[in-house]
Amino acid sequence: MTKTLTHARKRLLRWWIAPLLGLALIAGIETTGAPKASGVSVPATGIVCSHPDSNNVFKLTARDGQISTPDDNLVYMWSFAPTGGGFQYPGPVLCLNQGQTVTIVLKNTLPEDTSIVFPGQDNVTSSGVPVSPVYQGGNLVSLAQTAKANGGSVSYTFTAGRPGTYIYESGTDQDKQLDMGLVGALVVRPSMGAAFAYNRSDSAFNPDTEYVMLLSQSDPALHRAVERNQPFDMKAYHARYWFVNGRSFPDTIAPNNAAWLPTQPYSSLVEFQPHSSDPGNPFNKPSLVRYLSTGPVTYPFHPHGNHGRVIARDGQALQGPAGQDLSYEKYTVAVGPGQTADATYTWTDVDGWNPDTKPIPVAIPPLANLLFKDNATWYSGSPYLGYKGPLPVGVTSYNECGEYYFMMHSHALYQITNFGIAGGGMLTLMRVDPPGGC
Amino acid sequence: MTGNWNDRRFTRRAALKAGAGAGAVLAAGGMGILRSGGSARAAGNGYTGVKGEINLIATDGWISLPDPKNPTKYFPDGYAPNNRTTYLFGFRDVSSMVQAARTATGNPQLIATDVAAIRAQKGKIQASAPLIYVDENDDVTISLSNLGFQQRPDLTDGHTIHWHGFRNALSLFDGIPEMSISVPIGRTFPYFYKPHNPGTYIYHCHFEDVEHVQMGMTGVVFVRPAQNKAPIAGHPGPYAYNDGDGSTAYDREYALLITEWYLQSHWEDAHIQQPDWSEFKADAWFFNGRSYPDTLQPSSGYDANGNPIGFADPRLAYQPISALIKGNAGERVLVRVVNIGYQQHSITLPGLPMKVVGRDATLMRGRDGTDTSYLAETLDIGPGEATDVIITMPEPSGSPYDAYPLFDRNYADGYLTTSGAHAGLRTELRAYPAGTLPAQTTPNA
Repeated sequence: MTKTLTHARKRLLRWWIAPLLGLALIAGIETTGAPKASGVSVPATGIVCSHPDSNNVFKLTARDGQISTPDDNLVYMWSFAPTGGGFQYPGPVLCLNQGQTVTIVLKNTLPEDTSIVFPGQDNVTSSGVPVSPVYQGGNLVSLAQTAKANGGSVSYTFTAGRPGTYIYESGTDQDKQLDMGLVGALVVRPSMGAAFAYNRSDSAFNPDTEYVMLLSQSDPALHRAVERNQPFDMKAYHARYWFVNGRSFPDTIAPNNAAWLPTQPYSSLVEFQPHSSDPGNPFNKPSLVRYLSTGPVTYPFHPHGNHGRVIARDGQALQGPAGQDLSYEKYTVAVGPGQTADATYTWTDVDGWNPDTKPIPVAIPPLANLLFKDNATWYSGSPYLGYKGPLPVGVTSYNECGEYYFMMHSHALYQITNFGIAGGGMLTLMRVDPPGGC
Repeated sequence: MTGNWNDRRFTRRAALKAGAGAGAVLAAGGMGILRSGGSARAAGNGYTGVKGEINLIATDGWISLPDPKNPTKYFPDGYAPNNRTTYLFGFRDVSSMVQAARTATGNPQLIATDVAAIRAQKGKIQASAPLIYVDENDDVTISLSNLGFQQRPDLTDGHTIHWHGFRNALSLFDGIPEMSISVPIGRTFPYFYKPHNPGTYIYHCHFEDVEHVQMGMTGVVFVRPAQNKAPIAGHPGPYAYNDGDGSTAYDREYALLITEWYLQSHWEDAHIQQPDWSEFKADAWFFNGRSYPDTLQPSSGYDANGNPIGFADPRLAYQPISALIKGNAGERVLVRVVNIGYQQHSITLPGLPMKVVGRDATLMRGRDGTDTSYLAETLDIGPGEATDVIITMPEPSGSPYDAYPLFDRNYADGYLTTSGAHAGLRTELRAYPAGTLPAQTTPNA
């Protein structure tokens, strides 16, 4: 049904894409809005690392706030914010180097106890004692020592022993607190250096095209109940929004720190150039996407355009006991609750189609005889990468220089909706620019 | 409304009798199962250099699920014509009808919508979509014509072909309406591909994707490896992949496409109601558009005018692809298990190990050649994934064959039929004594 694309979404697409394309041109632009990585300017797309302070401490505050969804809704959330900074969802991307010892100091302004667990980190301590489950009256109430409600605090210390992609999340009342948003990503750089995902030479990637995609969801009825301090029966839980880095499409492709998404700082637009056989070209190396799922179901994430090569799961490089390569290419990467997966992406001009020297051997009908949904398109007007062509009068083009756009999305397709309306949710785009860039 | 529930049941019984005598011989017309390439294509048809042209139409239609013991408001649908229960969108293959019309008229540029017999297929989709298979490195054009909807003339939806998993795709042929174009009613568009990577893929419409995929616009496409043309000594093909050692050689092949339907949304689409997609819940499950026990019926097809023929049960005239797996003892049977539903499934074959040789159109090998294939009795397969397994057929102990059930481990994925059967994701693998079955001519035959 064509009417599922709302007027609101069309308006959003038109207003938001244009600024995005403008911003994407300027590398390292600083935009207004939420959490700066230590006040440093951040690129329009790609990972935004938060680093510990000079004492190897991250200061986080569990607090409440609101996020916006593309259907003009506001959802009440809890999340981890940089202490002293504004609310943000998800929490900051914590970046560490292998072997680095770090302390996370968590302050809790929420009306109930909370905590952080670090799945995949060994020997985590809290105030000098091992992190351990907390029982009250024989009931497990937290997987780690808590920061008490309304102003309590707690600290956790660990040494990042293994490189990889990890989740940090609340260990307290998880079915509620994870959906409320107390989640974030933790990236540990290998001792081989930041141009590698793991301590394997075949895990090299292009550090300029590194992405985090934290997959999650929410039932706004739960959030409303929490905001109003009303009871909520988790058996009635029913997700209505699905996110990549805390945003639903089309917000997902807006730049990092977009001013109009003040509490949702992280873009998930992937942008790279075709594979280059020149070892001196940064696109000789693939792009890296670090997937994390903090939701309660498995997300079958499907990139269009090309397979991804899954090189690690849950922070473990896929290798045999003698270092054999056990990585694999997949067109759908299933990321289960609490799991992470690292996948590399490239796009190669295999056939070298060219309008002059090697035309595609089919006759493309006049574009006026085809349908441009909602009279707007990311298409360039030409099937050839780096070329533009005329579009029918009245069709708005978001295309800049003949680049390709591909969807990346959950293939449980009801999850690429915003409260039941198609064309949103857990969906983002992969942009392939012509060689040399736009 | 052209029939009611009781009429339909009566007709089904009558039809079963008739079907038994009709035989299952397919004419050379359009098939439910489709191969690209091979046959001569008219020159100068606008698709110069294209070896394989596949003509698909997109429209709507009605298919049949086994009778539910407990009918609901939504199932069976009160609008459903005789023999049918459920409203769908989908595809049909009309390639041979286009070719016949080009030959008959001497007009090689004629397109699908020029042919009256093809226009008459409006409202007659098939579920699953035609099974398409092509050869690695061949030029392939899937020419899609949008006929519009018979039941919903108010809907002016476009359609697309998205070849799910196609490596290094061109955006124009990736089939995303927002990223390129879609095909409006009455128009035709050539989706062009040069597949370089063998394996099992999916194709589906991506227009209003959550709806059009749910409504049935889904099929399997697979690419046969170049190694078939240069066989490995001592390991005669065909092969699933370019394995270099014959480890993916097989004797018979089958594709099983998993879907599950939210029947309320099908009813709502038929009744001009707006579904809420965040309310999705599955209530019927399918291999190749058929729910057990329909899965066991043989494959059928369509004649030169597009009319269904060769079906054993007229209920299944528009669900032509069998999910029954057969083989002689000792034969290697390749099964391509594909999930284009919205749920994770656990497909099990108790008693027979399945060797997983490929996933998502990728041979199970590391970059350094490490063999990552493995044996399994259960396949965990999520939405948008495919797994290729090879099963070595055992010696049967019974006569004429031993049957091994292949089914979804989640027994709740189904519903009870009037006969007490559990309709859902279930089919059979039948092992015959060596030499019993003739060589397979098409997949799923």
